[in-house]
Amino acid sequence: MTVLLVGLLAIYIAGVILPPCFSGKARIQNLVAHGLAAAAGFAGMVLGLAGLLAPEPWTASVDSSIPFLSVAIRLDPLASFFVLTISVVGLAASIFALGYLAELYGRASIAAMGSLLNGFLLAMTLVVLADNGFFFLILWEVMSLLSYVLVVTEHEKPGVREAGLFYLIMTHVGTAFIILTFLIFFQETGSFSFEAFRHPDQQLPEGLRSIAFFTALIGFGAKAGIVPLHVWLPYAHPAAPSHVSALMSGVMIKTAIYGLIRVYFDFMGGEFPWWWGFTLLVAGTVSALLGVMYALMEHDLKSLLAFHSVENIGIILLGMGAGMIFHTYGLHELAALGLLAGLYHTINHAAFKALLFLGAGAVQFATHTRQIEEYGGLLRRMPWTGAFFLVGAVSIAALPPTNGFVSEWLVFQSLFLSFQLPTLFLKLMLPIAAAMLALTGALALACFAKAFGMSFLAQPRSSHARHATEVPRSMRVGMGFLAGLCIVLGLAPMLVVPLLDRVTAPLTGAAISSQVLALDGWVVAPVTVEFSSISTPVLAMLLVVAGALGLLIARLFGKALGARYYKTWGCGLNLTPRMEYTATGFAQPIKQVFETIYQPTVKLEQEFLEQSKYFIKHQRFESHIEPVFEKYLYRPVVALLLAAADRLRIIQAGSLHLYLTYIFVTLVLLLLWAG
Amino acid sequence: MPASTQLGSQLVDLCSVLLLLCCFAIVAQRRLSACVDLFALQSAFLAATAALVAFLTGHKHIYFAAALTIVIKVIVLPRILRKVIERLNVSRELGMNINIPAGLLICGALVIIAFFITQPIIPLGYLLTRDSLAIALAIILIGFFTMIARQKAITQMVGFLVMENGVFLGATAAAYGMPLIVELGVFFDVLVAGLIVGIYTHRLQDTFDSVDTSTLTVLKE
Repeated sequence: MTVLLVGLLAIYIAGVILPPCFSGKARIQNLVAHGLAAAAGFAGMVLGLAGLLAPEPWTASVDSSIPFLSVAIRLDPLASFFVLTISVVGLAASIFALGYLAELYGRASIAAMGSLLNGFLLAMTLVVLADNGFFFLILWEVMSLLSYVLVVTEHEKPGVREAGLFYLIMTHVGTAFIILTFLIFFQETGSFSFEAFRHPDQQLPEGLRSIAFFTALIGFGAKAGIVPLHVWLPYAHPAAPSHVSALMSGVMIKTAIYGLIRVYFDFMGGEFPWWWGFTLLVAGTVSALLGVMYALMEHDLKSLLAFHSVENIGIILLGMGAGMIFHTYGLHELAALGLLAGLYHTINHAAFKALLFLGAGAVQFATHTRQIEEYGGLLRRMPWTGAFFLVGAVSIAALPPTNGFVSEWLVFQSLFLSFQLPTLFLKLMLPIAAAMLALTGALALACFAKAFGMSFLAQPRSSHARHATEVPRSMRVGMGFLAGLCIVLGLAPMLVVPLLDRVTAPLTGAAISSQVLALDGWVVAPVTVEFSSISTPVLAMLLVVAGALGLLIARLFGKALGARYYKTWGCGLNLTPRMEYTATGFAQPIKQVFETIYQPTVKLEQEFLEQSKYFIKHQRFESHIEPVFEKYLYRPVVALLLAAADRLRIIQAGSLHLYLTYIFVTLVLLLLWAG
Repeated sequence: MPASTQLGSQLVDLCSVLLLLCCFAIVAQRRLSACVDLFALQSAFLAATAALVAFLTGHKHIYFAAALTIVIKVIVLPRILRKVIERLNVSRELGMNINIPAGLLICGALVIIAFFITQPIIPLGYLLTRDSLAIALAIILIGFFTMIARQKAITQMVGFLVMENGVFLGATAAAYGMPLIVELGVFFDVLVAGLIVGIYTHRLQDTFDSVDTSTLTVLKE
């Protein structure tokens, strides 16, 4: 274990230091940086698995001369799980970057990007391993700052700079709240060590405990993108280079989930007030629903994916929230199920979201645009990318037999099992959350029907799309790895659930894997096989059989019906790409239905020929939706801050003597006060 | 307390009072070059005090500090300041934010405050220089006040140097001087500050045709 960990850290550090040594040779820099990152990713996977299977948590600690700070590391199952998740995505993204960055040789500093990427991965890995609050905060800050620098890679674009600044402010607000959380623990225990935080003798007073609950929720929520703290996410994630977006959306926001689980289940374990879980449940429902709804209206492929991250964080929170509610009422096995569902969705989301971001990067690489409206017909031109993107899309839309389906199904099950709860209110609320989740799933399906259909099917809508070609092999390998993972995670819950069980058992006090996996693991059944059960391998087989059957029937009877091949009828006109269904058009009905939430503005300006009003000279169509949270929540706060700053400027007269007087008066007053 | 020690203590007090008097003279002074001369005089008194303390206590390193005081504060810095005044043709009049009578009254109040603050501390001391602590604090406050009350950059430098003298006196009074290495560092700092203010005044003159720091307000937005 020690060897693995030291090796992992050494490779990452080499990845930070070495690339700048090969100045001027962009290709070698790229190979060194991302080759090392991929190697470290592989080592991290092994380490994560070893940590999950180890009987005891592995710890190491070195004291430092700085008070309260000790470089402490603890590899328990929870940390191992997240190390595994980070490393898997890190591996895929690094392989992808090998080809993806080739385009930028000579135009951007490959060495800087490679070093930063290695540093970012290292910081994320250490964040989940840290066993000291002070150490954790330093790493958290390093992670945030490095990701900021990566976001502003293309800083010559003003939009990117703005997105970066927005991200920087939000993440620091979040960090401030995390610091508050740790300070509350510090005040009670007199130590920053996680060991002291989780000590059972240490129980915060009830009021303080609830404050810590909220500060942690806000602090980590800002990073995770929980509504209404999500506003930075759709700007910052797409602004970064695609392999970085994959890491940010796929795993960085998961470190916040890690933080929440660590603080709630590990540090504050024991009795939760019922409304903690309920708060998470509400936050999860709102995030899931609003995330997918805004995603539907987004026609920038990467922004669309970023909004889906908000949605999926919501789904993870639903699992966690249900787990916490069950925990409150002593239903430990159900609590374990909820948490397990949340964690399962965590790794699934990491896999398919990273895959989709890499896919979006590949499409952008080939077409040099992110607008879905300018794509079309890409499947014929980029079959591999298209196939991988389809796997990701099917997974995120939670269709069987892929991984998204399994974890969402488990979340559903844990919500349905609320009938075992003693209070009527919660008995009602959990199924409502389940209904909202169902709506979310349907909208996600619509959204990816749009994203895939408008991008890859039909004919190209622009010359960009017409001239697209398949991407280099390394990029395909990166995507293919994740696509394979999506399918494996979907088909083999019997391998995943026992591993996750090792994570949740110490946190909830109930091991459930033998119970959940019935019939030698081929069937997943949360309670009993009779109540509800599912088997993805069987489903997959059924799908294959049904598909084959369909083909067979078509082959047998198709001839008899007399198939005739002809062009699509275009009312006598020649078909042009302009006649195709657009992404905007596809989303229009949903925009109408949810008008109250979107508050859309539609403007149509037409100018007619003078001779007849049946001939339009030119017309201008404008349609956008209101960013509700920015308008009603953030802008007033910013306006208030600016007004306060304006007031305070009176004391900043610019006069040297005045400033000296301030210091002087303060000095005399302090002296008098002390005397 | 033996008679000789008592006499020594009184001599130290006398020198400290002379330092304080110089402060008042600086505040009451209308001419710029006279301010610089008064600062040189004050520094000479400071050197004398330090030498006296060194003689009475037998701490050799204070002699060294006294010698440095004479070289840097009595000779070098006043020369730099006079040169700046000559070269820039600074008008002799001091720009004042607060007129002289009011300034003197405020300085008197500052002395009272200084004695009031140090009242509880002084009886606790056992050094023969302990009474100088109040005076040192008064000098620091008056030096600071000079920086506020006068507009020209050079007078602000003088105010800063007066404060530094106060700090030096305070350190001698409270602990028979700081360790030599710290003393050296402080002298170096003061010298550098003198040079910087010299350059800064040049720039000010170039930009605004005046060395009045009130003109800096236009830099705001």
